[in-house]
Amino acid sequence: MSAFAQQLMSKGVALEARDDFQTVNDLYLERGWSDGLPIVPPSAERVEQMLAYCDRPWDEPVAKIPPRWGEATPIRLAANAVMAGCLPEYFPLIMLAIEAMCEESFNLYGIQATTHQCAPLIVVNGPVARELDINAGHNAFGPGRRSNATIGRAIRLALLNIGGATPGSCDMSTFGSPAKYSYCVAENEALSPWEPLHVERGFPADSSTVSVFGAEGPHNINDHESVSGVGILKMVAGTVAITGTNNVTLPGGDPLIVFGPEHAATVARDGFSKADVKRYLYEHTQVPFTHFSDEYIERRMKTLYPERFARDGMNARAPMAGSPEEFAVIVLGGSGKHSAFIPTFGHTPGVTRALKRRDGSYASSVKDFLRK
Amino acid sequence: MSQSAVFVIPEAPAPVQVGEGPQAKKPPRQIRLGILDNSKGNADHLLAMIVEMVKAEVQVASVLSLRKPTAGLPAPAEILDQLTREVDCVVTAMAD
Repeated sequence: MSAFAQQLMSKGVALEARDDFQTVNDLYLERGWSDGLPIVPPSAERVEQMLAYCDRPWDEPVAKIPPRWGEATPIRLAANAVMAGCLPEYFPLIMLAIEAMCEESFNLYGIQATTHQCAPLIVVNGPVARELDINAGHNAFGPGRRSNATIGRAIRLALLNIGGATPGSCDMSTFGSPAKYSYCVAENEALSPWEPLHVERGFPADSSTVSVFGAEGPHNINDHESVSGVGILKMVAGTVAITGTNNVTLPGGDPLIVFGPEHAATVARDGFSKADVKRYLYEHTQVPFTHFSDEYIERRMKTLYPERFARDGMNARAPMAGSPEEFAVIVLGGSGKHSAFIPTFGHTPGVTRALKRRDGSYASSVKDFLRK
Repeated sequence: MSQSAVFVIPEAPAPVQVGEGPQAKKPPRQIRLGILDNSKGNADHLLAMIVEMVKAEVQVASVLSLRKPTAGLPAPAEILDQLTREVDCVVTAMAD
């Protein structure tokens, strides 16, 4: 047994078991330490390799994850990252994403415990996305890239095992979501006509960031016919303006609009800046009260928008966001005339955090992060 | 035959509660009951039933009913402060 393994055993953060793939998988599944898929056994040796990419002592908490408020120490996060199949160089982003989603404003307690089907979506910006080969192009929300798949899965395992988001007891989601297995992408900055998300949020262009959103799965917006910016925006707005999302009754949740590169190019070509797009969407996604049921209007909409109802009666409309700026806009994906709408939990703004060294200076890449 | 090896536990235990806890205090003869409604439909009905059940079991001096502005966020500090000041115990419920 290595000195590190002995240390872990003496601290009570490890166990001894037969060194066999099936045995460890059965044991971890039996103890509830799994998302249901097979895991890579988190041996002390593999976890130690992961921790080589950590900038703090292995037992120093990064955050506390609700609803259990379990301490997210590097050792536990590393174990979950190994189990998910991560490469060690992914580890700084995993710690960063956990830090971001544990900021109070993100309301992770609500996101973890709600009956809604949201899951934290991780959007990576900056040079680290290329360095770690995070897919921003074709099928970015889908399978095929180790970084997207395993970073997202590591986060989910940490939310389960450290945060205690056990389905049916602390995670009360009515449906759950495939996004609760893994939900991690990079913005397609190379094909975006606009400033990327992290620059829009005040970070240097050459910094690397993680943004988190309490998000539903993406809903596709198919538009092969519009050839103008306003035409595409009208189709996007028509998809967004629906009654059943949380955003229509819980403003402040950064509803996320994902433009495919082809749609984005057309919209930008016709003179729409990102701010213009947001203004257009704010104005054109307001849902008429007449689209809601009588009971819903009586019990929810009149209470939520008393001034609008007093002024306009049944001609009142409900906005999908509290202001134009609340819409989050990114560019993602490959070729094809598609965009996507990602409704969110509502009331919980997305949080962006930059990769930094412990001295507070920006680290543009993992290599930079490790530089002494 | 496989040898044994050391594997890291990925789980965090629940934090240990510290402090006196309610059991350290002698319960009053009459309680001031607080009700925290999570603002979802039917929470008020459920809580009203619970209040009647509590009244059947213990003497209730007063009932303070407060409602969260929205279900998805924690109760704001003002509500928690008022409950802390004015009641002996709180019943909260979520009702969908």
